[in-house]
Amino acid sequence: MSAAPERVDAPVLELVDVRKSFGPIEILHGIDFALHAGEVHALIGENGAGKSTIMKILGGFLAPTSGAVRLDGKPAPYASGAQAEAVGVVVIHQEFNLAPDLTVTENIFLGRELGGLFLDHRAMRAGTQALLDELDSPIRPDSRIRDLPVSDRQMVEIAKALARKARVLIMDEPSAVLTHKEVEVLFRQIERLRAQGVALLYTSHRLEEITRLADRVTVLRDGAVVRQAGRGELTEDGMATAMVGRKLEDIYPPKRHHAGAVALEVRGFSVPPLVRDISFTLRRGEVLGISGLVGSGRTELAEGLVGLRAATGEILRHGVPVHVGSVREAAARGMAYLTEDRKEHGLLLDKNLTDNLTLSTLARFGTVFIDSGREEAALTRAIGEFDIRAPRRDMKVGNLSGGNQQKLLLAKTMLGDPEVVIIDEPTRGIDVGTKSQIYAFIDALAAEGRSVIVISSDMPEILGLSDRVLVMRHGRIAGELYGERLTENAVVRLVMGTNEQTSGSAAHV
Amino acid sequence: MSDTTRPDTARADLAKQAAAAPSLTARLPGLSALGPLLALILLVALGAYLNENFLSAGNVTNVLARSAFIGMIAVGMTFVITSGGLDLSVGSMAAFIAGVMILAMNALLPTMGVGVPLILAGMAIALGAGLLAGLGNGLLVTKARIEPFIVTLGTMGIFRSLVTWLADGGTISLDFAVRQLYRPVYYSGLFGIAWPIIVFALVAIAGQIAMRHTRFGRYCEAIGSNDKVALYSAVNVERIRLMTYVLLGLLVGLATVMYVPRLGSASGTTGMLWELEAIAAVIIGGTALKGGYGRVWGTVIGVLILSLIDNILILADLVSPYLNGTIQGVIIVLAVVLQRSKSSA
Amino acid sequence: MERRTFLTTAAIGTATAAAGLSLPAMAQGKKAVIGVSIPSATHGYMGGLNWHAQQAITRLKATYPNLEFVLATAGNVGKQVNDIEDMVATRNIDALVVLPFESEPLTSPVKAVKDAGKWVTVVDRGLSQPGIEDLYVAGDNTAFGRVSGEYFKANLKSGAKIVVLRGIPTTLDNERVDAFQAAIAGSGIEILDMQHGNWNRDKAFSVMQDYLSKHKQIDAVWAADDDMAIGVMEAIAQAGRQKEMWIVGGAGMKEMIKRVMDKDPQIPVDVSYTPGQIATALEVTALRFVSDTPVYGRFIIGSTLITPENAAQFYFPDSPF
Repeated sequence: MSAAPERVDAPVLELVDVRKSFGPIEILHGIDFALHAGEVHALIGENGAGKSTIMKILGGFLAPTSGAVRLDGKPAPYASGAQAEAVGVVVIHQEFNLAPDLTVTENIFLGRELGGLFLDHRAMRAGTQALLDELDSPIRPDSRIRDLPVSDRQMVEIAKALARKARVLIMDEPSAVLTHKEVEVLFRQIERLRAQGVALLYTSHRLEEITRLADRVTVLRDGAVVRQAGRGELTEDGMATAMVGRKLEDIYPPKRHHAGAVALEVRGFSVPPLVRDISFTLRRGEVLGISGLVGSGRTELAEGLVGLRAATGEILRHGVPVHVGSVREAAARGMAYLTEDRKEHGLLLDKNLTDNLTLSTLARFGTVFIDSGREEAALTRAIGEFDIRAPRRDMKVGNLSGGNQQKLLLAKTMLGDPEVVIIDEPTRGIDVGTKSQIYAFIDALAAEGRSVIVISSDMPEILGLSDRVLVMRHGRIAGELYGERLTENAVVRLVMGTNEQTSGSAAHV
Repeated sequence: MSDTTRPDTARADLAKQAAAAPSLTARLPGLSALGPLLALILLVALGAYLNENFLSAGNVTNVLARSAFIGMIAVGMTFVITSGGLDLSVGSMAAFIAGVMILAMNALLPTMGVGVPLILAGMAIALGAGLLAGLGNGLLVTKARIEPFIVTLGTMGIFRSLVTWLADGGTISLDFAVRQLYRPVYYSGLFGIAWPIIVFALVAIAGQIAMRHTRFGRYCEAIGSNDKVALYSAVNVERIRLMTYVLLGLLVGLATVMYVPRLGSASGTTGMLWELEAIAAVIIGGTALKGGYGRVWGTVIGVLILSLIDNILILADLVSPYLNGTIQGVIIVLAVVLQRSKSSA
Repeated sequence: MERRTFLTTAAIGTATAAAGLSLPAMAQGKKAVIGVSIPSATHGYMGGLNWHAQQAITRLKATYPNLEFVLATAGNVGKQVNDIEDMVATRNIDALVVLPFESEPLTSPVKAVKDAGKWVTVVDRGLSQPGIEDLYVAGDNTAFGRVSGEYFKANLKSGAKIVVLRGIPTTLDNERVDAFQAAIAGSGIEILDMQHGNWNRDKAFSVMQDYLSKHKQIDAVWAADDDMAIGVMEAIAQAGRQKEMWIVGGAGMKEMIKRVMDKDPQIPVDVSYTPGQIATALEVTALRFVSDTPVYGRFIIGSTLITPENAAQFYFPDSPF
């Protein structure tokens, strides 16, 4: 059935003027959004536009700050994901919700096992086999999740949702990890569910999928709905434009225009298994942006460059080939990497500011004994230079705000005085004020003649900071943009792969 | 994740910030750290009250010298645990090293004769054996990437059975004449302080300084706190981990050097359960069992508490000897509970 | 001397083959397999017991080529039960000589062996159900305590003060201590302290150190075990109080027997509780298969006071114990 946008039948699940704030920051601004029976509704938007938050609110994982969630026109009777599932609202999360040590059958029937005192293994196994057969999947019901590849796990998640007899099925980028063939199977299932009258929410960064599946599209930007359209009303280009269409805020420093000599050259660089054959150059005083979807290999490339992952290929500093087998060697070559995951990889959350600041460069603070006086002086300097606001110097870093943690991490990285700095997601999870401070720091680094690589999922950030942008897709460089050609539209096209329309199927492999 | 705002962590951040405010004013540095020290002072007062000989020079020397072996091992264990490891093999290792050392000295006796060189050779062998044993544990943990619990559970059994085998099920005894020469290393001392006490004190001071004021100590804490962060911060995680096991092995060797002159023998029961005493001392002293925070002086206090409990129970006749284990267990658990409840207050 | 336990079986196999080839079969009886199950050598006394068992086996095999022995040592009760089951199932033993780790858990496995028509010799620790074994060979724990007590009573004046070190808390230890206390009853000897030294040198050393701190006058020490006596001696030497008190250990460790022989005033006597009882059990069991000698019943090896006069017969310089 081809749905018209102005339907008359009542929605199954609906958000009415929903707002959501975390502390003082409002991230959803009055969302109206409805899912109808027998309809696939696609929700698209850039990273950070608010898609995940909307899905979490629909699925009962988050409560809205204001506004209403309505199921069959009445206030939704659930306050948790489990309760939502019980009334037929099922979410397939992107990060899987499977117990890795249990079998496929055990996962599918987890929490609603068949049988009385003893489990009815035969019935559960048969039920699982039937579900997997429907999905055309060769997965064996007795396999352990741990032993399955990611795409099979996604299929198990889908089978699990089918087993729940969902009335509303919310899918967060289910195709991201599937092969072309598996995507076809998934689409058939979605079409079958639609025919059975299930209300579906579908998200994907692959706009061609949206065009094919969606009866209705909602485009989200900066926590607000900017466009709603029925099937056939929006081209893929139109979707991309709607997602992006905003002015860059002037929190970005003015562009620099003089790049110096080549500081870093990378040739034929591969980080198995994902990243293949990357080559690029980086000049002094230049900010190079790397864009691409999560999972496109950006972080893997960076970690390979600083010796955190096994890699092959050539790295040249000032034209001389160098070997980088560990972070220590990278530091010795004047290269430093600031991780995207500051809580797990960047900072010792239960240690104080000083211990964190000097950890990578401790050898500079005394030969046999650590000179705590010099450490304290370094902290005083870092606090001043990077405007770190900490109530106490000896407090645990875990108690600092995200912005101050990020500034401390930046201070820590710069303490080693690197010439080449790779910054992964410089502003993830921090407020706008601190963001502009960090942009100013990055700009200052380039102005001092250092070379900076910025990896970011935040499109305006990439555009606002970079002199040149590399776009990665499936572990390879999909394109390089600079000067006139460096526009948001061009980056999004490369990121989404819409430039490859003619060879579109290759994108799934 | 298609949403970079990460609302759940953002919320946790805010909650933490809110929680941080009152606790910052309430938490004075060192208050929780004083728990074990307080327990030690209470025990000393109790001992002095129960028996007039408790504070006599003789008894104090006995208790301190007895603590020395476990104490040196526990100082090494502090570094291993702080960096997120564990070593269950130290008791068996001590017995094995003692056996090897005695057999080697007896074997060298005909060529070297009774004299200081023979004693020094024995000491070198003990330290060398300790270093190798620690290196073995460390390599299995860092290179073969096997859980420290399993590695050292395995080597615990290996060392224990090796010493029983070397002793042919019985006791390995040091030659009588050599023993007479070696004996003063345990029994005499400097300015009236027994050698084991002096060596233990030096090890403890060096350990405290290493933990607080050297890169090694700082790296141990960083690795135990989060080894990923340490790796991303250019710390050579494997080498530091390996070094903690080697250091512990060396200290076990040193403890053996002080232990052998005491009874001049080693058997299958030498060093039985030392590993648990050492680990208990480390934890009583305030080092986190999961790693990330180490306190060497706390470990020293933990060792003294364990020795004192034993001493007081025998001096005082408080309970049936059958119940000694109960009293020890209760005090150990209480010492830790006290510390935890204070630090979370 | 058989040094290595794990070589024993192989050594025995070779010895049997060699003996079988070189000597014509002895007249008496057919081939017989004797299974021997004892605790492993985890401490001095058991080390001695293992040594005596191996010595006796070597000796018996040389004498009686038609006898074959299967020796298994176990580190815990469960292993010992498995050993015994394996011997019956795979080695088809004709007799079992067993020193039970613990009485209770081994009673039914040993009874099963008996019910299968095998000969059973129980050593040292009785089973919890009487009448299973054909032959019982044991030391005498009551006599061990009594003989020690009598020596104290005879050699100390009324009002003398002594300290006692006990072993690991077990029935065996209780029997010894009760007998000791009964023996000194009425002598006016005062027991100042009784603590567990766990039959361990190090533990005995520190317990004795504490006794010495606590008590100004100690006239004698009943260490109740030679390993503990060694720890006690060191503690006394450290305090410089060797002249004040003498020590009686027990079991018959070679170093201690040597001191008794040499008339060490600190160690005037020792009390036997010989690990050689396993050899006695093996010898007597072997007789059952090579002769018509009646060997049913109980064979109690008394605990004897070892004095400088009779010490030589208890001295085994080659034994590890």
